[in-house]
Amino acid sequence: MKIADLRAHAHLFNDYTELRVQQNRNVGLTMINGDLVRNPRSTQGGVSARVARAGGWGFCSTPEIDGAALERVVGKASTNAKVLAGRSKLGDLQLPATKGNGSFDWKSDAKERSQKELIEFLEAIDAHIKETYPKLSSRLMALSNLDMQKTLLTSQGAESFSLTPRSLIYIQMTLEADGEPIDLLESYGGLGHFEDRFDDPSVLFPTIAKQYEHLEAKAGGVYASAGPKTCILDAELAGILAHEAIGHTTEADFVMGGSIAGQFMDKQIADPMVTLVDFAHTALGETCPVPVYIDDEGTTSEDCTIIDEGVLRHFMHNKESAGHFETAPTGNARAYQFSDEPLIRMRNTAILPGKSKLEEMIASVDDGYYLMKPGNGQADTTSEFMFAVTLGYEIKNGKLGRGLRDTTISGVAFDMLKTVSMLSDEMAWTGAGMCGKKQPIPVGMGGPALKCSVNLGGK
Amino acid sequence: MQLNRSLADSCVEALKAAGADKAQCVLRVMDKSEFTVNAGKIDLLRTTENGSLSLTAILDDKKGSLNLNELDSKSVARAVEEVVNLAKISQADAANDIAEGGEAQSFDSGPTEPDLGAMYDRLENLIERGKQHYPLAIFDQMVYDFSTSETLFRNSNGVDLTERKGQYSFDCMFSSREGAKSSSFNYTGFLSHDADTELWLCGSLDRLLRENGQQVHTEGLKGKFTGDVIFTPDCLGDFLGTVTSFLTDGPMITGNSIYKDSIGQQIAAPSLTLHSRPVSEELASGYRVTGDGTVAENSTIIDKGQLTTHLLGLFGAKKTGGQRAVNDGGCFVVEPGDTPLEQMIAGVERGVLLGRFSGGNPTDSGDFSGVAKNSFLIENGKITQPLTETMLSGNLAQMLGTIRSVSTERTHFGNAIIPWLHAQGLTISGS
Repeated sequence: MKIADLRAHAHLFNDYTELRVQQNRNVGLTMINGDLVRNPRSTQGGVSARVARAGGWGFCSTPEIDGAALERVVGKASTNAKVLAGRSKLGDLQLPATKGNGSFDWKSDAKERSQKELIEFLEAIDAHIKETYPKLSSRLMALSNLDMQKTLLTSQGAESFSLTPRSLIYIQMTLEADGEPIDLLESYGGLGHFEDRFDDPSVLFPTIAKQYEHLEAKAGGVYASAGPKTCILDAELAGILAHEAIGHTTEADFVMGGSIAGQFMDKQIADPMVTLVDFAHTALGETCPVPVYIDDEGTTSEDCTIIDEGVLRHFMHNKESAGHFETAPTGNARAYQFSDEPLIRMRNTAILPGKSKLEEMIASVDDGYYLMKPGNGQADTTSEFMFAVTLGYEIKNGKLGRGLRDTTISGVAFDMLKTVSMLSDEMAWTGAGMCGKKQPIPVGMGGPALKCSVNLGGK
Repeated sequence: MQLNRSLADSCVEALKAAGADKAQCVLRVMDKSEFTVNAGKIDLLRTTENGSLSLTAILDDKKGSLNLNELDSKSVARAVEEVVNLAKISQADAANDIAEGGEAQSFDSGPTEPDLGAMYDRLENLIERGKQHYPLAIFDQMVYDFSTSETLFRNSNGVDLTERKGQYSFDCMFSSREGAKSSSFNYTGFLSHDADTELWLCGSLDRLLRENGQQVHTEGLKGKFTGDVIFTPDCLGDFLGTVTSFLTDGPMITGNSIYKDSIGQQIAAPSLTLHSRPVSEELASGYRVTGDGTVAENSTIIDKGQLTTHLLGLFGAKKTGGQRAVNDGGCFVVEPGDTPLEQMIAGVERGVLLGRFSGGNPTDSGDFSGVAKNSFLIENGKITQPLTETMLSGNLAQMLGTIRSVSTERTHFGNAIIPWLHAQGLTISGS
């Protein structure tokens, strides 16, 4: 649906109103040991309205997208807001006026690959892996493409259209070691349609070779020793640390809900070399993995510098929290499906690079670990975090040693960031992140390698 | 939304006409009404309606599947054509199949309309009670919804099953604060067929809110030891979900499941009996039809420590040569043990009462490690202090073998009934 079609319904708006038409399109393929076990496509689309009245919100959505449906969702959302207003004594919301306007279309100019071609792409990778690495006990490959298309109109006059695609290939390889399966999962891809991300299967072969090399080291590796250790966290772990352990605690709705970060505004919470930013769409001159130009409340998205040279400076806001804290919204309000209300969500959260070389950092550690790849992670309102680590190496006397079996790191982020003593001069992004907070949402995470002290789980 | 019954039948016929040897259609309509509490305020009433049409076509053992929520005739006709084309370009696999047909059946459970007034009252009463009984608690977010769904399963083998469900669902995330000190957040939830019962009387909410207030002032452990762990019902439910995930299609097909050859073998101490009861009257969240379109039955997954079934779907069973499970798992009911909780705690020399486990996904071999959250230290049979920065590690398979006792008390979550469980030999380490 075009913005002009939405505009025709602006006369229905009596209170603060957002009207959003959205469609998510997914393509998924899963191949196990060369057999295609899943081959689905899905489309979820519809229209939603959100209305604010007397301090509360009403929301309604339907999958039907026509004039009658638009009228119905606005009417029902208004009714819901009135029902709440009739019972709750919330006080008026202060919703700053924003009027983002623009069209942001990442559609590929290349000819779209058919499902058959996508299957053949995976088959070519699988055939290469099977032939090149015969010791593998199993191979799993998954392709996941998501197109998120949104059209938004608000009663404050914001109008926007966006099409943001993401294309990912996951490869998991498994080796038997000591009678146990040892695996390593790697994701490839990010922002853009498949045609723009993946050219020829052979382009991935060198990185797959590296993945296998790491898997062999892991299979022949050791368990980490439990307890506190000096570690070098590589870019992916720095990124998940930025997102999970710091980012979530500084989402303004979490702050209003009791996050410990609420006590630390304008205080030193990290070593002065640490600067952490939630980028809207562009970082250090390059487009981020999940660019957000106008959020789902119609606010033009701005970068949010959360930690500036070690000092906590800003929270991430939607309109409601910005009104509460008497500041400007940062454009962090995002919804996953047409049927979801916008929540404060991170976009592209990263620690900025420093001045050290990774080699120097490793050389500076006498007894510790180089931790490279995270699994899942969680953090707390206290900033206590836990991340699974699926790839790493020992560091002994400044040199990389044996590979590590899966382990876990934990700590209190606001303490741990004070132990950061070196940051590498290069940073990397991962565009495969999916954050969960009532709804899932794609996010970007990034950072340099950082040297710090963390607690490891082990045997 | 209204279910268009003729749409499902016409889809199966259209898929056959387009060339499918076997065709399946699952049509579902859903309505939801939801109150959300943010930072202690009931601030959102959300109503959503949605539809879902899942089409499957198999021809020459090649399968395509497609899901959409546009149910107009043009979109459906396009989808029928597309799913057959998806099947044509897929790989042939003799394991691709649809369920065998049987007698047409219809199932109905739960209410059809929400009692919004009662839902609001329950939330308001909980917030009010919090001020008196949980004075340190902050309700970060609560979601209380009522949802209905009606699903039609049709396939070209004659499957004709209809299921309507209505249920209330409550999820709550909370933390506690005293001055500058905060507890870790915790969360719980439950399901029910009515909104008549005060929320703090359901599931484990009252206990967890009280404990959370005590967890504002925590202490860390020093050093590392091998000790006992008492899993609380919320935490044990999560672990059982992880254990049973090893029994499903994915790890069974890759061959990486630690339980791939364990049917009939003792995989846990005899005190553990785990049922999956999707058709039980005890639970509000059951299901009568599996994802494959067969009529669900109750099963016992672990019987006195012995593994009795994998949880293979139709495809997984054909692919591995195993037995298709009679349900999709979940709806866990763990048989109570013979040890009262108080006695269980008294039997621990040094260990952890584990409220929540924040950990990485276990490895294929069952190794796990993570942080003990919302947990207490037990020393000499007594709970001595709430813990912070305490890590746990062990191996799932080995841990099940070390179960010392299961409690007589159980918590009823509406989607599961779970006791406390005492396991031994886990690595517990502090900072």
